[in-house]
Amino acid sequence: MGSRLEEKSKLVRKRIEGHTFDDEKGDEYEGSKFGGFTEYFRRKKIKLQNLDAQLRAQSADKPQIFKGVVCHINGYTQPSLNDLHALIVQHGGGFIQYLDGKTMVTHIIASNLTPKKKEEFKRYRMVKPAWIVDSVNAGKLLPWDAYRVVDEGVGQKVLGFDNGQVVSQVNKRTQGYKEQTDASWYTSQLKGEHSQMPGTSRKQPSFTQTLTPGEDIEDDEKYPAPEITSSIERAFDQDGMDDGQSSPQKLQQPRKLPATNTLIETPPPTSPPLAPIQDERAYPGEATGADATKLADGNASRLRPREGSQEPDYSMAIVRDSEKLNALSPSRLASMTAEEHNALLLSDPRIRKSTVVHPDFLEQYYRESRLHHLSTWKAELKSQLQALAAEKSSSQKTKLKKLPGQRRYIMHVDFDSFFAAVSLKKYPQYKDKPAVVAHGGGSGSEIASCNYPARKFGVSNGMWMKRAQDLYPELKILPYDFPGYEEASRKFYDAIVATGGTVQSVSIDEALVDISAICFAESGTDGVKRYEGAVHREQRKADLVAQQLRDEVLEKTGCAVSVGIGGNILQAKIALRKAKPAGQYHLKPEEVLDFIGKLEVEKLPGVAWSIGGKLEEIGIKLVSDIREVSKEKLINALGPKTGEKMWDYSRGIDRTDVGDQVIRKSVSAEVNWGVRFENQEQVDEFMLGLCGELHKRLVKERVKGKQLTMKVMRRAADAPRDPPKHLGHGKCDTYNKSLQLGVATNDTAVITKEAIGMMKTFNISPGELRGIGMQMQKLDPIKFGTEGTDVGSQLKLQFKVGQSSKTAPVNQNTVEAERAPEDPIQDVVTPEKQRVADANKPSVPVRPVNHSTPTKKALNMLGTQFVLPTQVDPSVLAELPADIRAKLARHVRPAGQSAPVPAAVNNHEKTSWSPSRAQSPARAFALPNQSQLDPSILEALPEDVRAEILGFYKSPGNRKRGEQALLPQSPRKLRTLPPIKQPVKRKRGGGLFAGRARSNLHSGDNSTLTQSNFVARPLAPKHLQEDGAATTTDTEAEPDELDAEFLAALPEDLRKEVLDQQRQARLQRTGGIDLSLHQRPKARKKKACDEEAPLDRLLQIPPRPSRPTFTMRKLTELPDLRVAVKAWYHEFSDEGPYEEDVAALVKYLRDVVHDERDMTKAVAVVKWLAWLVEEGDEDVSEKVRVAWARGVETVEQGVQSAVEERGLGTVNVG
Amino acid sequence: MANEATTLRNIVAAFTDFLTVAIHTILYERAIYPQTSFLSARKYNFAVRQNRHPKVCGWINDAVSAVETELLKGTVERVAIVIFTKDNQPVERFMLDVSRFPTATIADLDTPLERKSAEGDKVPILPKVDMEEQFRATLSRLANCGSTLRPPPEGCTFTVAIELKSVGQAPVAHPQPWMPVEATEQDGADDKVQKRTVPVRAVSAGEMMLECWIEESAVAD
Repeated sequence: MGSRLEEKSKLVRKRIEGHTFDDEKGDEYEGSKFGGFTEYFRRKKIKLQNLDAQLRAQSADKPQIFKGVVCHINGYTQPSLNDLHALIVQHGGGFIQYLDGKTMVTHIIASNLTPKKKEEFKRYRMVKPAWIVDSVNAGKLLPWDAYRVVDEGVGQKVLGFDNGQVVSQVNKRTQGYKEQTDASWYTSQLKGEHSQMPGTSRKQPSFTQTLTPGEDIEDDEKYPAPEITSSIERAFDQDGMDDGQSSPQKLQQPRKLPATNTLIETPPPTSPPLAPIQDERAYPGEATGADATKLADGNASRLRPREGSQEPDYSMAIVRDSEKLNALSPSRLASMTAEEHNALLLSDPRIRKSTVVHPDFLEQYYRESRLHHLSTWKAELKSQLQALAAEKSSSQKTKLKKLPGQRRYIMHVDFDSFFAAVSLKKYPQYKDKPAVVAHGGGSGSEIASCNYPARKFGVSNGMWMKRAQDLYPELKILPYDFPGYEEASRKFYDAIVATGGTVQSVSIDEALVDISAICFAESGTDGVKRYEGAVHREQRKADLVAQQLRDEVLEKTGCAVSVGIGGNILQAKIALRKAKPAGQYHLKPEEVLDFIGKLEVEKLPGVAWSIGGKLEEIGIKLVSDIREVSKEKLINALGPKTGEKMWDYSRGIDRTDVGDQVIRKSVSAEVNWGVRFENQEQVDEFMLGLCGELHKRLVKERVKGKQLTMKVMRRAADAPRDPPKHLGHGKCDTYNKSLQLGVATNDTAVITKEAIGMMKTFNISPGELRGIGMQMQKLDPIKFGTEGTDVGSQLKLQFKVGQSSKTAPVNQNTVEAERAPEDPIQDVVTPEKQRVADANKPSVPVRPVNHSTPTKKALNMLGTQFVLPTQVDPSVLAELPADIRAKLARHVRPAGQSAPVPAAVNNHEKTSWSPSRAQSPARAFALPNQSQLDPSILEALPEDVRAEILGFYKSPGNRKRGEQALLPQSPRKLRTLPPIKQPVKRKRGGGLFAGRARSNLHSGDNSTLTQSNFVARPLAPKHLQEDGAATTTDTEAEPDELDAEFLAALPEDLRKEVLDQQRQARLQRTGGIDLSLHQRPKARKKKACDEEAPLDRLLQIPPRPSRPTFTMRKLTELPDLRVAVKAWYHEFSDEGPYEEDVAALVKYLRDVVHDERDMTKAVAVVKWLAWLVEEGDEDVSEKVRVAWARGVETVEQGVQSAVEERGLGTVNVG
Repeated sequence: MANEATTLRNIVAAFTDFLTVAIHTILYERAIYPQTSFLSARKYNFAVRQNRHPKVCGWINDAVSAVETELLKGTVERVAIVIFTKDNQPVERFMLDVSRFPTATIADLDTPLERKSAEGDKVPILPKVDMEEQFRATLSRLANCGSTLRPPPEGCTFTVAIELKSVGQAPVAHPQPWMPVEATEQDGADDKVQKRTVPVRAVSAGEMMLECWIEESAVAD
């Protein structure tokens, strides 16, 4: 505060203090003259002060806390200006009605200011009215600082004083009239009256959007269900992946429902239907061998307590034993890119099966995750309950309508150690012994639930097994019993619904029931008036209902439940603490304040260490302490929402209602297990699947969303490629991105398109991806029209193009065949994207993605684009080899045309051979139309060669017309292609064997023809035949022989390469991995400079020579060096440095100057040493000093000469 | 995710930026032009001076772009900002050793670079923050060079020079932005004692490896 302000206000204060008023005889009471407004106004102010003086004199008994304070009030306040004025003046303060200048007063009171005024009054003491009120209440002048109206903004942290320490706090203060209304004096007075009565009708607006207390609240360990979910999930994840095949069937068995007349229809267990049959056919090797044993293992293990967590070990064993991985040296593993690593990993079919590249992954993932299943079941249960509640309340509207001040009776029903209790039913012998439910006995497994005997030993939920076993070594470990849980939960809810109250499910073993109506019916009152007997009757009824419920559940499930009863959810929850285990407790309204007050704050639902810690900072330990603190302070410390909640909670107030509808705000689908990709196509395909799943869920929820959020987990840079958990995500960096869609949608195609686009913007290489989640927000409900069509949102124009994208990929041939006659010229075909090496392919092609996805422009997967004749000569057809015939027939039949057939085929000599890769830049020969092949020649060819030719016609690569392909293509053109994953290097001069090398490397899965370039030249037909045959066998299980003569004629290095190539091909066939993928880029690296047009994506820079280091500890940084030098000096401060040490330092510094090229550092070290020697002079002997000085000199000279060797002048080191 | 692939061109551009700022700073510190003709500006979050004379700026920009051309060829060993007396005697040379920049062929200028550490992890090519901090440190050292150097004589002028690697071809074709230096017996041993080296700062941020020092002629004037 500026002194100017002090000065002026002091004057005013003195004047006010000196102001006396005796009677109305002063000149201010004379009539004012015409035009004498100023005079009139002056008098008015004096008169006002007279009033104040009188008021002050009348209330001399009040503490003069505002002595020295001069206030002015600006704008609307609560309490009103009048009340505030009186309060201030009565307590010794001065009051200025009309502000002549801002500095007149010490404080200006306002509840809110316009932005302009905020700016204007920024530097003055702007105080909220609560300051006055609270000060009066406190009987002392509170620091005004806590009641600022204008602050430095939200971003500015403020200093707070707490227990004598200065702390920096986040400046959180909401502003506005609403806050004032909520927190005002009047309201608090009103509330004060109501707070004694449970269940006021008043609802704070901020509370309507909160979730149910059980969900948004950090709970303590007495509520097991919310916390253990993570461990359960883990259990599910591990469990579900291996024995999931059998479990869905198990779950699908119809469960015998108890024959009570339940109001609620228990939702049937939902399991997604099995994968379509065609996929079954597609994965023949799925349930064989190892998988079978896996299944057996999984089944057996569920029935006995597990020893250790077997699943992860077993899975890791897969990774460990995978000969693919073992075949590689660790150094090579380290040098691989993430994609290559994944490719390697995925080349093991067993691993591949459980990752996202497996086409059925998503379906399996969701089918086998039983947690998913249980939660779905719970969600359905919830929605049915809600529907039920809605129905009931509409029929009994008048009765359920809450009256202000009405008593409420809320029950909180909860199983005692649900998982443990249910699991113990199967092992009754352990009932009285400490037992826990966990995934296994390994030290790394987490305790999901433990029974009460175990709790006595200090074991608690969520504890690691190792620690628990330290506490009690003979702990019994029980397996999960998911069907049991579901059944128990079902019975539990049946019993609860039967009570007839309003039910809100919190989790599978926990529910809130509002039984007020039942109780009022018993007492015959409306719940507002207080008849002596009625309240008693109501309470008795509530206890009775609880007792009956407990008995019923115990009878049906054999497990004990506890019930807490209270006037609201909070009280019920707190009562439940006391009720446990296997009891019930009714927290009566008159006890509430005492009972809650004695609790520690962290026992309140929704308060755990984080809020607890904050409260402790402001000196709150017990709930009763909270009541001592002003609401403003609470809000200050905890934020508006939590602060207010705490304030209410401390007084036993909880405004949430049982059965409050939680409106779903988002729908999401996320997968972060088994996410391993080799290339972008797989990512896109997976995205399609995931978006499909999201779409399914959106449809199920009957919503559409406007905002799409994508969450991507990327392997953290320092995380290993294989995380500890098999195929888990490990340590990850998580990125989020949101997108406004504009129009609400749930269309898979739209979502996929956006999602893939978003994924692109992340620019994460596919191999680094570890998890993908899609979330749809800003949901709009879908309104269904009469025919079930969606009328909810904007209509979409139907473009013709849209049609084809909807056509299933299978029908593509049809489309192709139909189009062909009209459009015979299809020369220009987008080059197909390169597919991955077939060694890493699954046994079947991955299902093609929707065409509209941007990266996937696959054209004509199966057929040819050649014009197929419409008129077929049946005789020719008959002549054709069976496979061609079949193929042609297949092409044409869907189009409903007669089977076309190549008319005449001629002259095989013209047929040149071509490598399969259509995009190969080196391809420079033509291929005749299939129709021009001479069948007789075809016939005459050896079996394998024929197969090859025909195979080529099947291959998708055959796109370009001969004349076009003959043109020498500039390799540069390829730059316009999307980034190619494997660097394709071209050797200078087209390379005799380059083509061959590539064809082996990259032959797509749908191609069987591999042929090197050199035979494409006009060579002797014999040679052609022979070599063709040889290369054909490449793909078969025969070793290919290379012409020894030919080899001998090759230059040395080429020969080596050819031989390597051959060896790798052999390796590949015998199941080895494709080393070439990892070798090639390196081998070619040396030649990178000669290449005229490199196609590689990255230019590898050779690693830098490591920096020179000093001493054994490899020091390089200046501060470290200084420390080391200092230590050295001190170590030898009594005898002088050794020669060797000096020499070592000199050598290092020379290296620094020469290799690291950092003269500055060298000089700094020398200077440091010189300074040390100089400083340490006093207490060392002359001899030592000289020795050191000489040492310094040596070092200086060493650096000097090093610098000079670099051709530089003398450096100033002194 | 500022994970944009760094190419050699990016590295060189980052360096030439720095070079421009350094030249302006040197001109200001060594009072080559009246200090009133400099504007205060901010680069690398550091207060720097920039000459406001359009011709000076133009000259510097031309010089820097010529340096850039040579840098992209990968033939430059050092860049020097030389300060002359009126009679063409070099007084000070501000040296920037850029010999350790990565090199690439013309075709590879825009190819993203990648380097792996010994452990096989990718090493950031151009850690932007680190680089800017080190540039700032260098500029701050340059701005304080006046404290260690003798005040330059009246009427000095300056030029920018490059020293080529032994393998490189001199850029002597038409148009000729660079003047070849006449050979002098710089290598003479007696010459070395006549100059004094003031190390300034080494920058080592990813691929941005350069060392900066000042050579001051020891000739008494």
